Amino acid sequence: MSARDLEDIEAELLLLALRERYGYDFAGYARASLIRRLRQMVEFFAVADLADLLPIVLRNERVAQAVINFVSVPVSEFFRDPPVWGYVREHLIPALESFPRINVWQIGCGHGQETYSVAILLRECGLAHKARMITTDINADLLATAKRGRWPAEQFGQWRANYLAAGGTTDFDDYFEHTGDEVSIRADRLQPIEFVEHNLVTDDAFLETQFIVCRNVLIYFGDALQARALGVFGRSLERGGYLLLGTAESILDGDPAWSTVQPELRVFRRTTAPAVTCTGW
Amino acid sequence: MYGLVVVGFSAGGIEPMRSLLAALRADYPLPVAAVAHLPPGSGAGFTALFASAGALPTAFAVDKEAIRPGRACFAPADYHLLIENGERFALSVDQPVNFVRPSIDVLFESAAEVYGKRLIALTLSGASSDGAKGMAAVRKRGGMTIALAPDECVRSSLTDAVLKLVDVDYCVGIDEIIALLQGVR
Repeated sequence: MSARDLEDIEAELLLLALRERYGYDFAGYARASLIRRLRQMVEFFAVADLADLLPIVLRNERVAQAVINFVSVPVSEFFRDPPVWGYVREHLIPALESFPRINVWQIGCGHGQETYSVAILLRECGLAHKARMITTDINADLLATAKRGRWPAEQFGQWRANYLAAGGTTDFDDYFEHTGDEVSIRADRLQPIEFVEHNLVTDDAFLETQFIVCRNVLIYFGDALQARALGVFGRSLERGGYLLLGTAESILDGDPAWSTVQPELRVFRRTTAPAVTCTGW
Repeated sequence: MYGLVVVGFSAGGIEPMRSLLAALRADYPLPVAAVAHLPPGSGAGFTALFASAGALPTAFAVDKEAIRPGRACFAPADYHLLIENGERFALSVDQPVNFVRPSIDVLFESAAEVYGKRLIALTLSGASSDGAKGMAAVRKRGGMTIALAPDECVRSSLTDAVLKLVDVDYCVGIDEIIALLQGVR
């Protein structure tokens, strides 16, 4: 038997342990990235093989949580892909104003950078008072981290440059407090944000929304899970509501539930066609 | 018998890559996937650098897209490009590897796992060692490894790192590389 086969089996067992013991199901995740992340765990914990992690993961909840955090955290930054956020500022948020209610759902909060980017835009476009903002993640640890809103300052210069390139209208630094090597968000400058646990593998739409932001989450999903997630988005969005995906993600052509608003920036709009009702998972 | 050509380069690699795509032409039977270190925000202008009459067309890879011949697909700026089971592209925004995203190692290692002996891996000019481990992974799984000869590289750090780590099948000039790629099926 080759080493590759063995690693596959070990990965399978580890994923089974995470699912059966802790309820986190990564089976539908895209394989190549998942395997890379699991291998990094082997290095991080300085063990010989994935199999060595199995007994610890099964019995030690904190180690298991560390593995889950590692496998599930998307990396982001403030205003990643400035042209996208420039478009949101110029076109999407003004278009949202025509809805009587505006619920914004940002999915996959990571460490919060993208969540607060959206909140900053809502404030600067004068929508903070009438928009409700919800961010979700599968991972309670990440939600707590994002809510705390504190990051190493090393990337701050890049974030400021992104903000300006995306058409930022005030002083970006005013949204933050600098302490030593860290920056923290001044949440009092922004509208309240609801941090909620939600898993696209198992949970369905839970409120009607007008704008969904889900960037660089679907790239980690396999086909079936991608389709399921789009079904959830379709059932949550009010007809005419907007969906923003990552710049390398797309919706299959010909899905009647969606029309393309801006193809390069991956802006889609919920049509009046019925949403897929089969959860199929 | 080959199923995919992967190419990696950074500084000084654009010129040899242009020559290569111009020579392979649009009807080249193997799919080509490439990683170049390019600054975040590099857009459509980057792939346009390689356009010339009759050349193999270029595009940025899209997540979960089927790998097919007729064009060379580049990793989009600031995404790792991986090969997924079922011979499809996948992207990730995981941490930089060797301080870069996209990383050549990430593409080559994942391609080696899916294509094994049916993979041809090629490194051109480059200013860092990213790509060397990837070449080792390709070699280990029986794929063909080709490095651009150091005297034809504007920056030879990549070739040097590859040669230090891997007993490559070919370390030759761009004309010979073109002949090799045209000769395989």
